[in-house]
Amino acid sequence: MGAWLDETLTWGHALLFFLWGVILLMIVLGFVTYAIFFERKVIGWMQYRIGPNRVGPWGLLQSVADITKLLIKEDTIPRKADRALFILAPALAYIPAFAVLAVIPYTNKLYFADINVGLLYYVALSGISTIAIILGGWSSNNKYALLGGMRSAAQMISYEVPLVISVVGVVMLSGTLNLRGIGEQQGDWFWEWNFLPQILGFVVFIIAAVSELNRTPFDLPEAESELVAGYHVEYSGFRFAFFMLTEYVYVYAIAALTTVLFLGGWHAPFPFLDWVPGIIWFLLKFTSIVFFLFWIRATLPRIRIDQLMGLGWKVLLPVAILNVFLTAVYMELFIK
Amino acid sequence: MFNIDFTGEFVAFFVFSVLIISGAVLMVSFTKVVHMVVSLAAVFIGVAGMFILLDAEFLAFVQVLIYAGAVSILMIFGIMMTKHQDSGAERPRTLNDTLSAIGALALFGILFYAIRQSDFPEPQTVPDGTVDNTMAIGQQLFTGYVVPFELVSVLLTVAFIGAIVLAKKEAD
Repeated sequence: MGAWLDETLTWGHALLFFLWGVILLMIVLGFVTYAIFFERKVIGWMQYRIGPNRVGPWGLLQSVADITKLLIKEDTIPRKADRALFILAPALAYIPAFAVLAVIPYTNKLYFADINVGLLYYVALSGISTIAIILGGWSSNNKYALLGGMRSAAQMISYEVPLVISVVGVVMLSGTLNLRGIGEQQGDWFWEWNFLPQILGFVVFIIAAVSELNRTPFDLPEAESELVAGYHVEYSGFRFAFFMLTEYVYVYAIAALTTVLFLGGWHAPFPFLDWVPGIIWFLLKFTSIVFFLFWIRATLPRIRIDQLMGLGWKVLLPVAILNVFLTAVYMELFIK
Repeated sequence: MFNIDFTGEFVAFFVFSVLIISGAVLMVSFTKVVHMVVSLAAVFIGVAGMFILLDAEFLAFVQVLIYAGAVSILMIFGIMMTKHQDSGAERPRTLNDTLSAIGALALFGILFYAIRQSDFPEPQTVPDGTVDNTMAIGQQLFTGYVVPFELVSVLLTVAFIGAIVLAKKEAD
């Protein structure tokens, strides 16, 4: 990236950057479409229902139909809303969600940006989406939207702290913040991946990540039974679609990040399975994490608002700090 | 003066400069407090972009994390939690405005003169872009600057506990 930045910016280069961006966007949009479909299918199966099965073969076109419906719906802006911020908020939510994908390495060779503070980049940008969610809630001029926005912000801030501290152990073991470097340093056998040496960090990371995603059991910001729909209650059509898109792009990002940080990225679980290309392993691990997220959504009840902050600050944060401490002791005793 | 190579770096510099300047101007000229915070966040992001162009990635993303993320959210929270006037009252204060305009122009003049007058010596050891400056910052913090670093962390802890104690007292 750095080398290309110093060269003369020809139209060819600009076009190349643009095309790669568009390709990633298309992949992500395809992922989101079918993630929504499989989420509904999986939850349907787990609840002994069939799930969507009417539009297209096996219902495969259901999400496409839903998205088309959203796009051609009337786009309403409440009369007393803060117009500029109301329009800005969905875009401001989506841009960081898409931008964080730049640092995810898919295999050793296939990645977009190889910056040496990749993990920090991810954490920093994903914080900006929080601003967008509060702004969306506030600018709607609706008490439910404002409550949802506030809850969301409080939750995302409180869980970002354990999320960041839980990966410090991984960073200490690998000695780098570069995501490709972290993926590279995990061993060939599956017990050498970070999730076993860093089991405490891994558990904290998964819980905090689910909460960051505002998904069940932590979906308080959009608790339908209490808040109508949360921060996006006044949004409709295209702008609403953007908030949904943001949510699912973060599912993609978190699943990819978990794969790279804890599950060995593109490494095969056993050295003798090395002949299978790395991207297949990456996709397998990535899909299982996405499935795991759907699974807990189908089976767990929503946590109460007064328990939520307690869990974040009084349980996850001390455990994450303990994990950093234990990792430091381990490294001092056995590695140095 | 304008014999600049049209590189990606130049384009990025231009974009970030526009972001910083327009954000700063809008921050001053908006009347609603929330709008001001948003434009302030834009300035923070622009400054972070400048840090990246200067090969200080760690500083850049810490800037985004702390200022654009945490500080902005804190400000928005503060604005929403307190009963505030939706927009600041507009009072015509011609004398005040004129004086502050003169002051601002004088400050600009001094800064411009100072920047034009000073020469920037080339650093003795030129850090190349390949050096991991995150690690360099960490090593400096925990060797040369370990006492100030620890003092700062004690200060933050004291402030943190103090805030909790004060809030607790108000709640009772």
